Amino acid sequence: MITGSSCRGGRHFHHGGVFAPYPKRRRWCGAWFCLILLPIASVAAPAPDDTTAAWQLMADHLVRDASIRLDQIKGTPTREQVFAQAVVAVDYQPVTQDRLQQAEATFATLARGDDEIAEAAAYMQARLYQVHFQRPDYGRAAALYRALAERHPESHWAQLGLVKLSLLLLYALPEPAAPAERIAAANALLPRVHEEKLRRDLHLQIGRAGTFYEQPLDSVLPHLIEVNRIGGLVGQAPEDLAIELGELSLRAGHYEQARHYFEAYLRDFVPNLRSVTVRRRLEEIAALEAAKKDRP
Amino acid sequence: MKKSRAPKLGIGLLVLGYAFALYWVFTRSTPVVSSRPITIRIAHWQIEKGPPDGIDAIIKRYEELNPRVKVEQVLVPESVYRQWVRSNLTGGTGSDLIEYGVWLDGLTDIPARYFEPITDEMMRPNPYNRGTKLEHVAWVNTFTDGLALQRLNAPDPGQFYAVTLTELSERLFCNRDLLRTITGSDRTPHTFAELRVLFRQVAAYAARTGRPVHAMAGARDNASWLMQFLLQGAMMESSQRNDRYGVLAVYAWDELGLYLDGRWSYRSPEARAGLTLMREVSLSMKPGFVQSTRDAATQEFLRGDAVFIFAGTWDGTSIRSQATFPIDVLRFPQPTKDDPVMGPYFYGRFADGGGGTAMEFYLNKQSPHPKEAIDFMHFMTSVEGNQLFTDHSGWLPSVREVRVPPSIAAYLTPLDCYTFGAEYMTLGSSVNSAVLRNFYLLAGSQGSVDQFVDAMEAEMPEAVRTDLRKEVSNRAIIVRPQDVAIMAKAALSRRAPQDASLLLARERLESSQTQSEALMLQMGRQLERAGPAK
Repeated sequence: MITGSSCRGGRHFHHGGVFAPYPKRRRWCGAWFCLILLPIASVAAPAPDDTTAAWQLMADHLVRDASIRLDQIKGTPTREQVFAQAVVAVDYQPVTQDRLQQAEATFATLARGDDEIAEAAAYMQARLYQVHFQRPDYGRAAALYRALAERHPESHWAQLGLVKLSLLLLYALPEPAAPAERIAAANALLPRVHEEKLRRDLHLQIGRAGTFYEQPLDSVLPHLIEVNRIGGLVGQAPEDLAIELGELSLRAGHYEQARHYFEAYLRDFVPNLRSVTVRRRLEEIAALEAAKKDRP
Repeated sequence: MKKSRAPKLGIGLLVLGYAFALYWVFTRSTPVVSSRPITIRIAHWQIEKGPPDGIDAIIKRYEELNPRVKVEQVLVPESVYRQWVRSNLTGGTGSDLIEYGVWLDGLTDIPARYFEPITDEMMRPNPYNRGTKLEHVAWVNTFTDGLALQRLNAPDPGQFYAVTLTELSERLFCNRDLLRTITGSDRTPHTFAELRVLFRQVAAYAARTGRPVHAMAGARDNASWLMQFLLQGAMMESSQRNDRYGVLAVYAWDELGLYLDGRWSYRSPEARAGLTLMREVSLSMKPGFVQSTRDAATQEFLRGDAVFIFAGTWDGTSIRSQATFPIDVLRFPQPTKDDPVMGPYFYGRFADGGGGTAMEFYLNKQSPHPKEAIDFMHFMTSVEGNQLFTDHSGWLPSVREVRVPPSIAAYLTPLDCYTFGAEYMTLGSSVNSAVLRNFYLLAGSQGSVDQFVDAMEAEMPEAVRTDLRKEVSNRAIIVRPQDVAIMAKAALSRRAPQDASLLLARERLESSQTQSEALMLQMGRQLERAGPAK
């Protein structure tokens, strides 16, 4: 993940020994040694082309280095290289609105094609309007996501775009305004998202929006249960989800379901202070169930 | 004769000087060429007694195992830490590993801008745990809390950013000799009611003898830790009511939004109960303590002028190693259900530790040696590395399977208490500043709960909006570059479709980005709903 970083300060700077006794001689030795090894090395591990190297640098957050690498490319750039240059501009510090405008124009041009670059470019164009420009234009971003999904419905970028569109529908677009309608609009996107991990993310967002807007829990829980079934979340999300399923089930009066998820939480996660509350919840569930049984 | 000897003498002196210089260079000076080509630096502010020795012990062993790497420990005083971090990271001269805490005022953008996530590494076992019970355990699950606190504080909910070195708790340190002198017994209080009795006994003793003794050593820092603790305890029922997501916790960003929605305030009866308790305790501290820092409280306690000091276990090694009297370490006596102030809002014993591991070290994005820095992170949080830290620092470990020495066993918090995460003081830097600025209105003979609440409620509407806007902009700092990383990972994945890790990394990044964006939009919606502060 963090490979490819270069030593910006130079090694000698970092260990404090700036003075080196035989620098030139060593340099020459090193050069000759490299020349001898060059044919062997080129057979053993082919050097990545500039575009691949630039993508690797971008993956490592070394955008400036990636830009330099792309600038070294000679001749007419390929569509992918043009796209990579526009992507670099999105995070080239300091980010300027002018540079973003130029990137947007490039993405728009590339998006007219009919290959994966076109799909990715159309997605990036929408992203600029959603999060990158100083003044976001959510309406424009939503229109671009919709257009991409119409044109390339099965493309990964169109599918991811639908998830991002759901966020706009849930929180940002002026219409529909009522929380239940916002959630219904996001729900309507579900049948169009076929990639499982993206379906999971969409379910998670619809479920979380349901709790944010305090919608009936029985409309929220099926989404969260589906997220849990698909799995694969990392960071804080899986632990929160495990507790959320138990707690919201309890609040909705589904005691058996709540017990199932709380017990799963105690089994699957490292014990911590939330486990103390979860144990207390399990006692409360037992008491509620007993009371339910006693009722005539 | 004289004339012919002079050049010889000069040459002789020159040869002698040259010989001496050679001798000095090859025997006394630092090697001109380091035998360790890579140097990494680890910076932190824990310069109290303990942690520097613990980290030195880790470094010594690590350098034995890794002859190519030299590790330097950079100790930065707390008073200048914020400026140091900001200026070094901005100037590109930050250490490879940097301690950071979310409560550090004015630094909330730092993790997003300058720290690198280590999520992929967290999913794999720590190589330095080979041969231990944790050999096959994912790194994240080797920590006693599964890095719970770190995950809560991560700038991006889908990513891991830091490793921790210790578990912290808050304890009451008791001067046993002074307690016996005043009460005639070694018995320490177990409930808040018993503590109240003791406060009265100490005040009576001071009045009777004319000795300037107080029940509690006082300083702004110690008092604010105590206030945070008491407020969290008093607000537990309120926090549960406000837990709309059902995660049995309320995150700081959500608390800010909930405040704007009118779901809680310092005027609420629960908050007032916590503040009333804090005021009671503050009256057993020396007058004017609000002006002093924790060092002054420690000195007051060490001089024998206070029976107790409420402190984090981070001060434990300093206090215990310098005291000339026996010290008992006890959990803060808590109010019970029949307490006249807190009773109506009592939920259970509230957490005085065990909330998670701390002393978080982050990887600097600009580190010239990220692989070696991560390798050192692995070692310092391995069973061996963390045992060295614990044994040499007197601080609790953060890693499972590390033995806790009996001398610090009292710092461990059993799983017998509750927390809902909500911190009603350190919600954001503006709110925290307002609390500290107005604290004097609560404490001391001239203070009152009403004065403090009035002042806070006047400042909160603007402070909360400022902090919430900062939360939104901090998340934007994370979300925007992620588009570039996602595109890059997709391009690399196209070139190596057989490499499943690339696809997984892209999927994880997309998922966590979507979660962060959703939070940004929720916060934006709350700000919009609340409108400008009146």
